[in-house]
Amino acid sequence: MVNVLDIKVVRDLWSMRLQLLSIAMLVAAGVAVFVMSVSNYRSLIGAMESHYRNERFADLFAGTTRAPLVIADRLREIDGIGIVEPRVAKPVRIIREDTNLPISGRIISLPADGQPLLNRLHLVQGRWPDPLHPEEVIINAAYAEARAVRMGEPIEVVLNGRLQDFRVVGSALSPEFVFATRSAVPLPDDRNFVVLWAGEDAVASAFDMKGAFNDVAMTIAPGSSVRHVLDELDRLLAPYGGTGAYDRGDQPSHRFLEDELAEQETLSIFMPSVFFGIAAFLLNVVIGRMVEAQRGQIASLKALGFANGTIALHYFKLVTAIALLGSAVGLVLGCWFAVGVVGSYRAFFRFPSLDARFEPWLLVAATLVSVVAANLAAATSVYRIAVLPPAEAMRPATPPALQTFAWLQTIGSRVIPLQYIIAARTTLGRPIRTVLSTIGIALAIPLILFGLYWFDAIDYMIDVSFSRVERGDAFLTFTEPVSTDTLHELKALPGVLNAELQRVVPVRLRVGYRTYRTSAIGLDPGSELRVPRDKALQPISIPADGIMLSRQIASQLDLHVGDTVSIDVLEGARAVRELIVRRISDDILGSSVTMDRSALNHVMREGPVANVAALRIDPAQSELVWSRIKSMPRIEGSSVKALWLSLFNDTIGGMVLIGALILAGFGMLIAIGVVYNSARIALQERAWELAGLRIIGLTRREVSAVIVSELVAELVVAIPLGLLIGRYLIELIASARASQSFQIPAVIDPSSYVIASLLVIAAAFASFIMVRRRIDTLDLVAVLKTRD
Amino acid sequence: MQTSEQEAEDSAAQPPVPVFVARGLSKVYGSGDSQVTALKNVDLDIRQGEFIVLLGPSGSGKSTLLNILGGLDAPTSGSAKWRDHQLTGAGDAELTTYRREHVGFVFQFYNLIPSLSVEENVRLVAQIASDPMDPKEALELVGLSHRARHFPSQLSGGEQQRVAVARAIVKRPDILLCDEPTGALDVDTGRLVLAAIAKVNAQLGTTTIVITHNSAIAGMADRVLRLSGGRIVKEEPNPNRVSAEDVQW
Repeated sequence: MVNVLDIKVVRDLWSMRLQLLSIAMLVAAGVAVFVMSVSNYRSLIGAMESHYRNERFADLFAGTTRAPLVIADRLREIDGIGIVEPRVAKPVRIIREDTNLPISGRIISLPADGQPLLNRLHLVQGRWPDPLHPEEVIINAAYAEARAVRMGEPIEVVLNGRLQDFRVVGSALSPEFVFATRSAVPLPDDRNFVVLWAGEDAVASAFDMKGAFNDVAMTIAPGSSVRHVLDELDRLLAPYGGTGAYDRGDQPSHRFLEDELAEQETLSIFMPSVFFGIAAFLLNVVIGRMVEAQRGQIASLKALGFANGTIALHYFKLVTAIALLGSAVGLVLGCWFAVGVVGSYRAFFRFPSLDARFEPWLLVAATLVSVVAANLAAATSVYRIAVLPPAEAMRPATPPALQTFAWLQTIGSRVIPLQYIIAARTTLGRPIRTVLSTIGIALAIPLILFGLYWFDAIDYMIDVSFSRVERGDAFLTFTEPVSTDTLHELKALPGVLNAELQRVVPVRLRVGYRTYRTSAIGLDPGSELRVPRDKALQPISIPADGIMLSRQIASQLDLHVGDTVSIDVLEGARAVRELIVRRISDDILGSSVTMDRSALNHVMREGPVANVAALRIDPAQSELVWSRIKSMPRIEGSSVKALWLSLFNDTIGGMVLIGALILAGFGMLIAIGVVYNSARIALQERAWELAGLRIIGLTRREVSAVIVSELVAELVVAIPLGLLIGRYLIELIASARASQSFQIPAVIDPSSYVIASLLVIAAAFASFIMVRRRIDTLDLVAVLKTRD
Repeated sequence: MQTSEQEAEDSAAQPPVPVFVARGLSKVYGSGDSQVTALKNVDLDIRQGEFIVLLGPSGSGKSTLLNILGGLDAPTSGSAKWRDHQLTGAGDAELTTYRREHVGFVFQFYNLIPSLSVEENVRLVAQIASDPMDPKEALELVGLSHRARHFPSQLSGGEQQRVAVARAIVKRPDILLCDEPTGALDVDTGRLVLAAIAKVNAQLGTTTIVITHNSAIAGMADRVLRLSGGRIVKEEPNPNRVSAEDVQW
């Protein structure tokens, strides 16, 4: 036979369905955000690890000008080194009829017998090049997609200054180019950067590299000292123009990926945990009050002889049912969103397979947390009631210490309508409950702010990076250093509003055992197209001697103004200099070393040359400008700010938008859940009192005013409190990442505060309407028949 | 010229126009198998200033009748009218106005607002009435001026019920409706409450209807209506009213 208490569970669930649904919604939102975010992160990590493993991503990399192949054998003798794969890798330029923009690229040699040992290719389309057809190449899938390259299509490549025709026979993914990016460009630009893999004979002959290599990928034996191996590599390659050996941490694609993952980690672990934690707390508050409201029933059950354990079990079932329902909905929603969000990452993260992963522990943990949080709340409330003698518990809870507010009798109640006095006394007379439900409402705000914050942070990063620091519209890179003549030439182009030269060279900073590979950018004094800025976004002048460091590098290498740092130039004469840190700049995207251009030329032991030009272009004449530039010699590549930005919006922007909307949406659901429950429970507890007011002739509006003014009072405190908590939590999240190379600024636009507040007010308003409907349908006669 | 005695005789000979007129009142709760008929075809006239006691066992329809007369419930069929206020078919707003302006309620369980003091509970009604008396005066009438600043939880049951009476009369209601006002009280406390109700009826001329299980209270009435099974089964005029002090049970 069915236990009667179990029938009560089912009936209670049904009769409180709307209220319970809102609680379940709260659980669902917390679980969904948690599951979605964690599984996004795990999916990315998983995809990266399996790609690296399957395609044997190298551990170490090194470049030289030209080293004979026999040197590779000497590298193999280094203690701790594993596989050594020499190859030829060179910058190239692509010519396309349909664009004036220079497309830069990189060509990498493939062994004659097919797949390389390391950094193998994952063929997406087409086939492997035929060794008998040296003109056949594989290109990176990202470019193939972006430019809709068909298999068999010819591709014109400028190698070593000579135009050569190749034919695309396949497209592939490589662990080296998860993000296909040139150095000094912070974003992958799939349309204007291509990677070509061609047979080693073809590449070597084009660059006069027969029997030689200029690039080498290696693995390291487990347990070996990376530092030692890198030092040995540098020593052995130095005579051949070694540009410095480095590990994965300095490999451009991997470094970018790592930064992205670190950012994802914040987005995926820390924020959802806070979100879920808040949801669990709110669940606790709401369930606690719901059980409190059943005080009379608990007392009656006790009076009838039910043991505390039996009663506790009854509520355990009730609450667990709600938590399980919420978790189930949350798991389904979370998984569904995860599949969608992970899908949207595919355009950005180039992995052979990127599928949403759901680890069982995650699903179990999320469910368990909500069930435990709900039951803890219920257990505390049941216990509080159960310890009372049944006779006492059957009476309504002792009214609050109202005498404390006697002043309201003498002053307030003469002036203020009494329904507000009722509200004031109830609110002030039960401080703990008032504080808890105020905090409950307040905590909904950070959840909404979390979502909005991402938009603000990204807007801020774009504004700072692309409007205030990088002020040029486009950048040209040259195959070899150019002189001031080129600047004049560029300035003379119709449509070019301004042009500046920059000297950009790869460098390695050394402080003790710590190193950091980056670019040194030499700027002319008073540079207008690149303006380093401090924290307050004020321009910082370029020091005449010494260097200016990005804050990220300074904190990673623990450098301060006045410290000395050793700089190894990884190009040209491989100069090594000790320089003094003169300034710290607050770049947000990218991290670099900035110097006076002539000081950098001096370090390079060269004349006043440059290899990058920044341009301001009249938008109306940009096509003309690019058609002229296309015909200029020595241009290696270009990047156009507007293209970056649209790319940024399409990829990162899109991803963040989805995540942020989901967070904000769930935050609002939670806000409605909390406010509605607060109001609903207040109604439930005081239906008798409110019906009494209706009977003696107060209108619906006057009676609603009692509950509504209580909620409004809580809102008035909760909203500023919530905004403060939100700000604090966001700062905490931002500072949790402060040591990383890529920092998300804790920037919240005032409009976000307004939107978050308005959303909570809207949620409150929706709750008010529900309360009003309840009051309209109060059964006055039924209320009279019971004591409470 | 007529003497004043003659005038009185004339008015006694021509009974005043009834203020409450109910015809064919029926009330059915629920539907189908669970249908319960609370009132069956009740006709009723109540005159200005009358003190009516409704007697009857549980489920006889007393509270349903009182609730319909008080504008808290609507009959399933029939009509009820107070002066020119149609109580049947009226909307919520009209009924609220009717209660607000004309009706005072006293219930078995007092129904005071716990977060308002005694004086504030009374003033709550004064605040919404058009011509209320001073809340202090109402409290004086029920003998509770000295408890004005206390909260309901600090009063005994009898005191709380007298506050409820004071709250009901502060607006100078035309009708005072009391549902088991002594149901939760002992004899002595109950008498105090009844005395307060009788005083209001006598001094303010308020039409008073009291529901009770207790037939002893019937002695205070002008007229006793006995209900059973949803019908008025007996109507007993009471020419010899006794005072609350003399009620025995």
